[in-house]
Amino acid sequence: MQKQVFESDIGESYTLATLDNGLSVYICEKPSHTSVYAIFGTKYGSIDTCFSKNGGEAISVPEGIAHFLEHKLFESEDGDAFTKYAKTGAMANAFTSFDRTCYLFSCSDRFYENLCILLDFVQSPYFTKETIQKEQGIIGQEIKMYDDSPAFRVLFNMLSAMYIKHAVRIDIAGTVDSIAKIDSNLLYNCYETFYNPSNMFLCIAGNVDTSEVLKKIESSIKPCEPVCIQRMGFEEPATIKKSFIEQKLPILTPIFCYGYKQKINSPYRRLKSKVCVELLLEIICGEASPLYERLMVEGLINDEFEFEYFTGRDYACVIFSGESSNPKRVAEEINSEIENIREHGFDKKLFSAVKCALYGDAIKAFNSVEAIALSFTECAVYDYDLFEKIKLLKTVSYDDVLKRIDVFDEDLSVLSVIAPLEGS
Amino acid sequence: MLENSVALGNQAQGFFIKNDRFKTTYISYNFYLPLDKNSVASFALLPFILTTCSKDYPDFSRLNFKLNKLYSASLSASAEKVGDYQLLKVAISVIDDKYALDGENLVNKAVELLNHLIFEPRVENCAFFNSDVEREKRKAIEHIRGEMAEKRIYARRRLVEEMYKNDVYGISKCGTVEQIEKVTPEGLYAAWRDLIESATIVVNVISKTLPLNTFDNIKSYLSAFDRSSAKSVLDSKPTRSICAARRVEEHLDISQGKLVMGFSVDKADDKNNAALTVMCDIFGGGPYSRLFSNVREKMSLCYYCSATIEKRKGLLIVDSGVEASNAKRAEAEILRQLEVIKSGSFSDFEFESSKKAIINLLNGYGDHQEAIDAWYTIKSSSNIQISPEDFVLAVARVDKQAVTNAAKSVKLHTVYNLSPNVSEEGE
Repeated sequence: MQKQVFESDIGESYTLATLDNGLSVYICEKPSHTSVYAIFGTKYGSIDTCFSKNGGEAISVPEGIAHFLEHKLFESEDGDAFTKYAKTGAMANAFTSFDRTCYLFSCSDRFYENLCILLDFVQSPYFTKETIQKEQGIIGQEIKMYDDSPAFRVLFNMLSAMYIKHAVRIDIAGTVDSIAKIDSNLLYNCYETFYNPSNMFLCIAGNVDTSEVLKKIESSIKPCEPVCIQRMGFEEPATIKKSFIEQKLPILTPIFCYGYKQKINSPYRRLKSKVCVELLLEIICGEASPLYERLMVEGLINDEFEFEYFTGRDYACVIFSGESSNPKRVAEEINSEIENIREHGFDKKLFSAVKCALYGDAIKAFNSVEAIALSFTECAVYDYDLFEKIKLLKTVSYDDVLKRIDVFDEDLSVLSVIAPLEGS
Repeated sequence: MLENSVALGNQAQGFFIKNDRFKTTYISYNFYLPLDKNSVASFALLPFILTTCSKDYPDFSRLNFKLNKLYSASLSASAEKVGDYQLLKVAISVIDDKYALDGENLVNKAVELLNHLIFEPRVENCAFFNSDVEREKRKAIEHIRGEMAEKRIYARRRLVEEMYKNDVYGISKCGTVEQIEKVTPEGLYAAWRDLIESATIVVNVISKTLPLNTFDNIKSYLSAFDRSSAKSVLDSKPTRSICAARRVEEHLDISQGKLVMGFSVDKADDKNNAALTVMCDIFGGGPYSRLFSNVREKMSLCYYCSATIEKRKGLLIVDSGVEASNAKRAEAEILRQLEVIKSGSFSDFEFESSKKAIINLLNGYGDHQEAIDAWYTIKSSSNIQISPEDFVLAVARVDKQAVTNAAKSVKLHTVYNLSPNVSEEGE
């Protein structure tokens, strides 16, 4: 086992241990807290739809299978994980995103028992024809629930108009048709590829003792040969499918997502780029920006307005979203502010204020064991140091941020709107 | 957690809850006012208008510039319904001084800012500025309309409206669009004075140390107002049980239906408080609950099916997302599961799992500033004075008979069923 301890000047530290089988373990001790938050995850999400293992032939799998697998892993031969957690009182859950699947629990007592449950069920796949069929029914209901969710639809409509080949354009849960193609062979194949410790991470924050936890983990992880996974690229063209997409649903105020697809030449973005784009977004339309004030005064946005830099393997875009009686005007105003900044730069006082704000947010995240554990998953998937953001926020310059204005190309922008149905 | 209580005047109380787990100081002002259809909309606008501008920060960007400079000090505002009362909250959270890069005194500045926002709003001639009022009215109306988009929230709201047509609890927590439209700059100013003068006020400070002079400063702000008419929070009127349950059917262009069932139940008192919580949780709480394990897992009737309880009002709600074709079966099964609880034939496993889950949650309360704030806000205005630690003991003492007794008071009141339009169903 290799161990590395990371320290910071905000009174926090953490250990990153890499086990001999390749599993990455992140532990942050928070002795004054009562609870512990633990996440066992794999670098496997909805976009991993075409891959090969150990140099073998590439296979394509149905959309939504990572999420399906997440649901199924809760069932083992000796009962489901929820039943086991019920005996300890822990709160347990799981989620699948574009690039990871995570199983988690939070508890204020009996941590080691809970950790054993977590490690055990994630390492014990058990699928039968009957249980797969039952899950197709439950996930079918989940998909229908999302079909009715305007907030969910507006995002995925935008992604489907922005991306031509990349799997980020497909709903994480897949479709009723795609999940119907899932069988136990496919599930075992995906499991054996991606649920290998060398592709996994364990993130723990809370009232724990690092060396004891590591001992427990080492004795509970099943021996396993590391695998070599090759994820196939998407050959995504540097264009968009269409610049406007609209769907009608029974709502009263239109909602929108306005995104700029970024031309990228490498699969991943460095943390510095992410931090700089986040700062730039605050400057363009954060709550202290002139544009935010203008949009609010003109009645074009409300408190639902938000933005994010949305990036992962082979995709990157900036997304502005919210409710508006006139989404097209909001998009025009954002474009014009971006052009203004491209031409004239931005206010240095505002730059210094948003740097302070992001620094404060980064400190606040250490209040919560949940936030720390979730940040660890980001560190594991993208190989960051948990304290790197705080360090970067002290050093990034005006020019570092200004040059990120190139992320925005109006020709690659997409406006997605969910409009009220007639008569709503 | 250590708690210090300080009287701030008539019906105004300050609490310092010492907790050294956080890198932030959190302070909240909580105002309780009786729900009233004539004032609900004005009161609900106040937390929001007070946190967007003030005498010294006339617009949003100047106020937010200040908050950014305070290292993202975050203001929060909310208007909730607690029993027959409206609970209006304005809070600030700020990182402690030692994390400031240039040694700034962040906490005192943030407390000062919070007091300034509440007591020195942007007003002129006994009225708020029309442009500010119109902006907040628009946002509130859009928020209400936006709820329509989330069918789960919408369906629950509709159930409560139907159940409490002749009771103040039926009043929507932010008022209706029509009530909001009627708010004037003068009326809102009068509501602000009313808020400061007549509400029961609870101020919570959650931090490592109490910032210097916090409560003295608040007292001094409050002393400028006549609070002689401020009234304490009274018990809410119980939910009346009815003989034959009512049914409300509605249709929308949706693909998944929502079945929401409202039940009357005994209100909480010192004796049944913990038993009501355990009963509701065994019925429809975690994955071990009767509703989750039967209606969702065994019968695959819906993606979610859970129960929540408002113990101050004596209201229990079951909500679920179901296929229209399964709604009848789901309803029958939900009622069958309730009978299981009433007859005491739930298992030891369900009973013990539920208690453990509740205790696990309660023991984790001290790790979240907002959760501590919520607990003390409710506690300080309630007839049931209990700390999270004592509630843990009370839950541990609950036996199966107490759960059965609590369940016996649960009676179906109204069934609200939102289903897809018939023409859409076949597509």
